[in-house]
Amino acid sequence: MISDPGAAADGSRSSGCGATSRGRGVALRLLKMVALTVYSLAFAEAFIRVFSPQALVPRYVTGTAWGIRGNIPNARYWHQTPEVKVQYRINSQGMRADREYPFQKPAGTCRIAVFGDSFLVGYELDLKDTFTTQLEQRLRAQGVRAEILNFSVSGFGTAEMLRAYEKFGRKFDPDLVLFEWHSTDPDDNVRSGLYRLDDGKIKVDRSQYLPGIRTQDSLMKFRLYRIIADNSHLYAFIRERVAGSVKRLLLTRRRALHGATTTAPGESAADNQGSSPARNWSSPDIKLSAALLIHAQHMVIAEHRDFYVVEIPNRTSRTQFRSTVERLPPDTRERLKIISPLAAFVRAARPDLKLYYEQGHGHLTPTGARILTEEALAAIEGSPQLARCASLSGEGPPQPSGMDLARHKQAWLRGSDAPGHRGSQ
Amino acid sequence: MLFNSGIFALFFALFFPLYVLVRQNVFWRNVLLIVASYLFYGWWDARFLILVAISTSVDYMAALGAAGKPVFAGDRLKSAAFLLVVTGTCLAFASRKDVWLMPLVVAGILLAAGWLKVIDHAPPERQRKYWLYLSLFTNLGILAFFKYFNFFVGSVAAVLSSLGIEVEHISLSIILPVGLSFYTFQAISRTMDSYRGKFDPARSIVNYAAYHAFFPQLVAGPIERAAHLMPQFESVRPLNRSLITTGALLFVWGLYQKMVIADNVAPIANAVFSDPANQTAGMTLAAVLAFTVQIYCDFCGYSNMARGLARCLGFDLVVNFNLPYFARTPSEFWQRWHISLSSWLRDYLYISLGGNRNGRMMMYRNLMITMLLGGLWHGAAWTFVAWGAFHGAIQVVYRALHVDQLLERIRFLTPAGILIHMSSWVVTITLVMAGWILFRARSFDDATVIFSNLFGTEGYSRGTFWPVFVYATPLLLVEIYQRMSGKLEILNTGPFLVRHTAALSILLALVLFSAPGGQEFIYFDF
Repeated sequence: MISDPGAAADGSRSSGCGATSRGRGVALRLLKMVALTVYSLAFAEAFIRVFSPQALVPRYVTGTAWGIRGNIPNARYWHQTPEVKVQYRINSQGMRADREYPFQKPAGTCRIAVFGDSFLVGYELDLKDTFTTQLEQRLRAQGVRAEILNFSVSGFGTAEMLRAYEKFGRKFDPDLVLFEWHSTDPDDNVRSGLYRLDDGKIKVDRSQYLPGIRTQDSLMKFRLYRIIADNSHLYAFIRERVAGSVKRLLLTRRRALHGATTTAPGESAADNQGSSPARNWSSPDIKLSAALLIHAQHMVIAEHRDFYVVEIPNRTSRTQFRSTVERLPPDTRERLKIISPLAAFVRAARPDLKLYYEQGHGHLTPTGARILTEEALAAIEGSPQLARCASLSGEGPPQPSGMDLARHKQAWLRGSDAPGHRGSQ
Repeated sequence: MLFNSGIFALFFALFFPLYVLVRQNVFWRNVLLIVASYLFYGWWDARFLILVAISTSVDYMAALGAAGKPVFAGDRLKSAAFLLVVTGTCLAFASRKDVWLMPLVVAGILLAAGWLKVIDHAPPERQRKYWLYLSLFTNLGILAFFKYFNFFVGSVAAVLSSLGIEVEHISLSIILPVGLSFYTFQAISRTMDSYRGKFDPARSIVNYAAYHAFFPQLVAGPIERAAHLMPQFESVRPLNRSLITTGALLFVWGLYQKMVIADNVAPIANAVFSDPANQTAGMTLAAVLAFTVQIYCDFCGYSNMARGLARCLGFDLVVNFNLPYFARTPSEFWQRWHISLSSWLRDYLYISLGGNRNGRMMMYRNLMITMLLGGLWHGAAWTFVAWGAFHGAIQVVYRALHVDQLLERIRFLTPAGILIHMSSWVVTITLVMAGWILFRARSFDDATVIFSNLFGTEGYSRGTFWPVFVYATPLLLVEIYQRMSGKLEILNTGPFLVRHTAALSILLALVLFSAPGGQEFIYFDF
């Protein structure tokens, strides 16, 4: 239908040649196309590296036997952003840890199971700076023989945390269970479709939620793909945008299926920098999220464990933060034990201090994680379960007095927080 | 529907294959173009289409009559039927409370029929004039009501109030239909050219309606002349890979100008012009520079997108911007800036007023009137009138001093020539930027504050100017190359790999650096 002035001439030329030369012509054209594609990709990679370097944050996740995502066991990989370069070591159980944990809890040990998303996996943080490692060290410093088991996986919402606890985490017999709460959770919970609210009660809706996992698993078999995923800025750029679009599509589809529309036009799921506006408490996705947390609490408490919710506030600027638990209905907040670092973040905020990274994916800095740890520590000190297992452990150094604890806390907070520390710059 | 929106991408992706299928048949191609253009325009507000249809129906007949051709009953029926069909279809998509528009349109048709009776009984030479008046009355009437009613009424009330006469201020809640100033001017130009014997209108309302509503240029020009564009709607247009490729590249370049440059510097200008009192000299200058870049890239970008899209369909639209910021005199600036409007004002206003035919003083008067009305065309506010007056005044001064003729005589490639030409450029760009302050300021008070801010010394830091510098530098380099090579479409020339790399860079920049959220096109409000 579209005429090409050169087409007729080309046609007459080629019709005069034999099949061999025609084949050679096709091959040459193909070769040119391949060369042009390779050149274009290489140029695009160079262009992005020079003008808009991307955060290289490959996701090493796969499917688990319990139908949700999990960290790839025994994976070793790096994340590199303009602010940090971090290595991740995943143990054979899919936890970010440098040791293995038997199902059987060692005698005299307090186990805390942590369920969260990339914030609690410790994205953009060295293992030693993560919330879980710091919490464990702090408890041990106080004489509690503690083991923090980190079941967090990037992208998790409350629904996946609940499923991970039900199917896997509870087997480790934790004394305390900590669920993260972040502004992305309401969308994640709707998107996963794992649970639904039926007459105010949580019901299992789907047995599986493995978005893109089959493709990811197939690709991860190829070393070339892993090299590209780990090192290509072009790939990182495309991946983030495609994943964002797919997530929005999935959310729209799930909402359409359940007739739940709570997102205002133009409002998108909050990113890690978090700027999603407050929502109506009666909206279906908030109700689902609140019900999931209450359901998780019931389940955990019924097993004689203690349950806490750890809030990750949203950052609106370097020195301003917004609560994310305020999205939950007041009665839900009253029923939950919530660990919120919001007030501590506000107190610690300084124009020259970052509590969240700003050029990568917006996760907590070591300082931010340290403040969160401190708040968590203060909250769980009152846990009867922790007191019970701590009293059984009996081997650690004696508990410091209140005065010692305060002094120790100040010194520890100053710790590696001095200007020039990479994570806090 | 904005060119830089996802919905437009979907629209074009669905439209283009259909267009390719029917493009060999002029009638069906034009029907498709009408439907697509009306869908494109009606996406803003279906009711606006009634105005497009009124202008189309009236000017279809008016051009025939103004050219001295008989306007048969069949032509009149076609016009009325077209208007009624469009009105009925629009109202089907509009809210129920807008149904009153149908009897209004019918009443308008009956009124027009009465006027046609008057024309029919007039002597033949007078008839042509009456047809022209009908076109002017209709198009300028629509423009005056929708764009200027509140401005005129408010201004009259203010004048009376200053004389101590208090009157109740009537203000109507009128929405300004997008692109109104563009398509009414284009319609007037066709009828005017028919009247002047420069264009021979054909008897096909389908062809004319497609021309009148052609979606690439309907809402923000270029304001086309019938002699250039109308014949393209009366013939099968060539369409080949080269046209599509070059059209797409032009579109992408326009998109880059709009989304990467204009939209990214806009916040710098917006911040200062919305609160000029609390700004330093440095920030104010950065904002003026930012707006100078923004308005150019916004409008030139749109024109390039329009031309690129039209070329992908086999149509050729006129060049609307020819490196205007390289102008060395104000009159050269107007020969390069919004060329389709400045040539319209020249041909239909300045020349109609007498041009330079009745002596120097009359020429200055005509120039001032033309620029004042040109300013008013841009918006219903006294700041626009002042902007027009400012440009009129500096042109009068330049003409009185014969600056253009003097510069013509000085060769560029000599040390003295370089100094003089560069100085002229510096003076002109400074004047143009001063004009943009009047254009962009919300009021004369704001403009005064901005001008006085510029005489300060604070706030000059690298950080203040860096964002404007970052976004303007690639454009400046491209334009210097365009100027030196004498080619506007540099992406279409040179070795393949260079062109490919340049196109790839623009696409990557678009993806990476497009401003989040984006801004409306400035000229949509005109």
